[in-house]
Amino acid sequence: MSKKENNDFDQEFCHIPKGDEYVVSDQVGKITRMVVLGPTCSVSSKEMFNFIHLLELPINVRLTCYGVNLNGYPEDVNEAIEKARALDPNHIFIKIRGFPPGDPRRCRARRGGAREGFHQVEAEYKLLNDVSYALEHPKHVSLEKPKKIPVEEFEDIVNEVNSK
Amino acid sequence: MQVAIFPPNSMILADMIQRKGHTPLVVQHQMKNKVTSAEIDAPPFNITEEGPIEGLKYAAIEVPSGVRGRMSLFGPLIEAAEAAIIMENAPYGFGCVGCHRSSELTVFSLRRKDIPILELEYPTSRDETIEMVYKINTFLDKLNGDEDDD
Repeated sequence: MSKKENNDFDQEFCHIPKGDEYVVSDQVGKITRMVVLGPTCSVSSKEMFNFIHLLELPINVRLTCYGVNLNGYPEDVNEAIEKARALDPNHIFIKIRGFPPGDPRRCRARRGGAREGFHQVEAEYKLLNDVSYALEHPKHVSLEKPKKIPVEEFEDIVNEVNSK
Repeated sequence: MQVAIFPPNSMILADMIQRKGHTPLVVQHQMKNKVTSAEIDAPPFNITEEGPIEGLKYAAIEVPSGVRGRMSLFGPLIEAAEAAIIMENAPYGFGCVGCHRSSELTVFSLRRKDIPILELEYPTSRDETIEMVYKINTFLDKLNGDEDDD
């Protein structure tokens, strides 16, 4: 039996049925968010996973090494995010994600290797400790670029240093 | 207020914009529309020949189709932007900034718009990271119009 007769789009790769009509996505109107826990977060990813499950919202929750992934309708996901962030506001970060969790085109369980966006999360994860510190100690700074000092003033500084 | 960011997939920038009550314009929104719409939900056809055609609005026909395809994703974000935060010199492997020409064209298009823009360098040390967060928060508070001099 050929693949077309079997109504299967690609049996070897994804097993998503595709008949004569287009597939109707179950993701229409749904959003995906990644909850990333900073290095000094007081909540572990397992605790976060349990906390979100106990909210009893109709969302899909997936435990990952950096936190959890949430998928569902916007009002439910946003409620879960607000409550999750309140656990440790300065150390919990939210990333927007395009692909739903476990999508066969991206999920590493099927294709091996890290998901593409993981490298970027890894790069930003290194900065999160310092970002958390800055969020804990908020301050307003000048957005102007520092001006260059005149040559005369610079000469005075050099002379002052040399004279010591 | 809708704030465009560059790199357009940055978690830190998008998160800080959300914290201040604004809406971040990130490329993941565009990708979500691509990969979850009904007609292309069957993998791996999430990028079609329509992309480079839509990209003609932002780049000439001589420009490589890869740049035009990317601009079909970034373009709507640039058009919707009411403010922008640009972080330059992000690492080469930082998500979708691997195509330097697309990045240049995106930043150029953002700068050409008459909107408030904050330009930063990708931080390489602790002090720079903290300074970056302070600058972003100050910028976003200014957009809110409630900056105080503390």
